Amino acid sequence: MTAAGLAGVAFGPIVDTFGGASGEENAREFGTYGYPIKAVKPAR
Amino acid sequence: MAEPDEFRAMKGIDVDTLRREIKDKYAEVVAKPNGEFHFHTGRVAAERAGYEASWLDGVPQDALSSFAGVANPFHWGLPRAGEYVVDVGSGAGSDSFIAANAVGPEGSVIGVDMTPAMLARSRASASGSANIEFLEGVAEELPVPDGWADLVISNGVINLVPDKLAAYSEIARVLKPGGRVQVADICVEVEVPESARRDIDLWTG
Repeated sequence: MTAAGLAGVAFGPIVDTFGGASGEENAREFGTYGYPIKAVKPAR
Repeated sequence: MAEPDEFRAMKGIDVDTLRREIKDKYAEVVAKPNGEFHFHTGRVAAERAGYEASWLDGVPQDALSSFAGVANPFHWGLPRAGEYVVDVGSGAGSDSFIAANAVGPEGSVIGVDMTPAMLARSRASASGSANIEFLEGVAEELPVPDGWADLVISNGVINLVPDKLAAYSEIARVLKPGGRVQVADICVEVEVPESARRDIDLWTG
């Protein structure tokens, strides 16, 4: 995001996105979780 | 700091094949929203991600049933009345409808998606709504003018885009100066080996 010129990147609370999903097989192997993420385009 | 090239298109990924498999996967979500997927779907998935019930009550049922987001982009707040919003990878449209209800008649929402089945679903649900439209496109080439948006949202999409720098550059392009980005997406805690990164089956499930 910062490489694209966005700033102020922040992460919100973790979500166990895939936990208990019937077809989930790989998320646990790579520690895959969901997050809300925010940033801003700096004002000129 | 990482060099920008590190975020460029993944080597060894056939982008056309990846996009075709993503379209197939999400067409399946539209056709069988209660099917067996590696992610949760529908209202259950949205509530699990932290969406408030009052937001979901305003979403057309046909859109909400195919919700497949991974977290809550509105954790940081809903758009304000009168704002212009772009939803990157809008899917069946749940997040776009939540945004449209928040911005009201003076605001506007553009949902962008590459999957024909999802676009058909979202457009049918939006029939008669004046402040929301759904356009065909990809995250790396958004069909939106420069500096149009106050807010860009996305949910569970950027992880499926091979060239993430191109996607975020497009998001920056369509934002007004001072505009906000609120995405929900997945991150990995374990380094993914190169062989797994090239395995398209792992990208889509």
